[in-house]
Amino acid sequence: MTNIDDIISGIDTLKPIPPVAAQIMALAEDEYSSMSDIADLIVHDPSITASLLKICNSAYFGLSRQIESVRDAITLLGLDQIIELILLNGTAENFKDEPDGYGLGEGELWHHAVLSAHVAKVLAENTGWTSNKHLIFTAALLKDIGKIIMGRYVAFSYEKINILVHSKGYSFNEAEKEIIGMNHEELGARIGKKWRFGDKLIYMIGNHHMTDETCRNDPETALVYLADIVCMMIGFGTSLDGLAYRFYGEVLDRMNLTEKDLQNVIFDTGESRQKIEKLLNLV
Amino acid sequence: MHEVHLSHRPISVMTAVNFGDLKISQNPAETLVAFSIGSGMVVSIHDPVLKAGGVLNFVLPDSMTMLPEKAERYPYMFADTGLPVLLEALLDIGTKTENVKVVIAGGAQVMDQNGGFNIGLKNHRAAAAFFMDKNMSIDHQDIGGISRRTLRLDIGSGYNIIQTLGQAEVQV
Repeated sequence: MTNIDDIISGIDTLKPIPPVAAQIMALAEDEYSSMSDIADLIVHDPSITASLLKICNSAYFGLSRQIESVRDAITLLGLDQIIELILLNGTAENFKDEPDGYGLGEGELWHHAVLSAHVAKVLAENTGWTSNKHLIFTAALLKDIGKIIMGRYVAFSYEKINILVHSKGYSFNEAEKEIIGMNHEELGARIGKKWRFGDKLIYMIGNHHMTDETCRNDPETALVYLADIVCMMIGFGTSLDGLAYRFYGEVLDRMNLTEKDLQNVIFDTGESRQKIEKLLNLV
Repeated sequence: MHEVHLSHRPISVMTAVNFGDLKISQNPAETLVAFSIGSGMVVSIHDPVLKAGGVLNFVLPDSMTMLPEKAERYPYMFADTGLPVLLEALLDIGTKTENVKVVIAGGAQVMDQNGGFNIGLKNHRAAAAFFMDKNMSIDHQDIGGISRRTLRLDIGSGYNIIQTLGQAEVQV
C-alpha cells in the first residue's frame, strides 16, 4: 500500500485557486450572503477584469457591442453566467494537465468537470434547488480534483485495481481505497481542507460517489452524484474507470426524479454538448 | 512539359460520428469513427458489394418518452427514430439487406444499474428488436459491461475495429 503522506504531499504541487474564485465559492456556501455580495466582489476585483472581458467579447457570446467593464458584462450576460465563467477560469489550470493513470486524453478530465457542472446546474434547476446552484456547480466542477494527484498512483497499481473491478465486483473508488489506501474522493476532500473550502463543499467533493449511505439523503450531494452518473452514461470524459461506480436508484427516488427525467437530462446534455465544448476553449 | 502523375490511392479520411449523429459513406478511403460510447449504442451496417456503410450513434431507446419536437430536432439521438433512417439511407443507394454486415457496440451500464434506469440495456434491446423486426441478423455485438468503447468502420474493407478502454482492440 502506498504511503498516504506521499499522496497528501502532492497537494502542494497543485496551482492554487485564484482568490476571487475562492471568495465566490465561500459566498455561494454562505446562507447569509446574497447575489449582490458576489456582484460587489466581482466588480471590485481588478485581477479578473482583463480575462473576463476577453472571454465576454469573444465570438462565443456574439454580443452586438464591445463590453468594456465588468459591470457591463454582468448586465449583458447575467450574474450567473459571469460567476460560472470566473469559477471555470479559476479551476481550469489544474484540470488541463492530463492525469496519468486514468487513461484520459488531453483535457478530458477538464471536459468531464465542466460537463458535470453544467448537468448539475440543470438538475438543480429542474428539481428546485436553485438557491444553492453555484455551490452545486462548484462541487460538480471540483469533484474529481483528487484524480489530478491520484492518477500517478492509479497508473502504478492499475493491474491490481483492474482485477478487483472486473473480477471481484469492486467499484473503481472502492478498489482505489483497497489497493492504494485512499481514493480520489477522500483526496479531493483533503485538497478542499488544505485550500480552506467551506465544510459543505468539502463534504460534497468527498462523498460524490455516495458510498456512505447517510449522504444519499443530502440533496445537493445527490445532484452532483447524479450529474456524474449522467456524464458516465454519455461516455463523456470517462476513462479506465469507465462506468465502474455504483448506481443508487433510491437517490433518484428521493429527489423525485423518474427514468423519464433522467432520459431528458441525457438528451439535453447531448444537445448542449457542442456549446459547452466551445465554451471550454475560451477559458 | 512534364506530366504530373497523381496517385491513384485515395487520401484516407476519418469522419467522427458524434453522439446523436448518423453518417453514411460510399468512400472506400473513409473510416467512420464513434468515440466514447457509454450507455449509448453504435450501430454499424456495411455492404461489401457496394463498398458502402453507415454508422449511427444513438443514446436513448425511445423518442416517445419525450416531447415530439426533441426527436424532430435530433432524430439520431434515439433508436426508434435513428435506426430506420440508417437502414433506409443504405437501401436508397442500392444496398440489399441480405448482403450487409451488422455490428453493434455499447450499452454499458453503471454498476448495479437495474430496473427502469438501465438505459444501456434498453438501448441494446431496442437495437435487437429493430433488426429482428426487419428479419436481419446482428453479426457481431460487443455490449454491456462497465467500460466505454470506440468503434471504427473502414468503408473500403468493411472491418469494424472495437476498442474497449483498457483492453486489446477487436477486429470484426
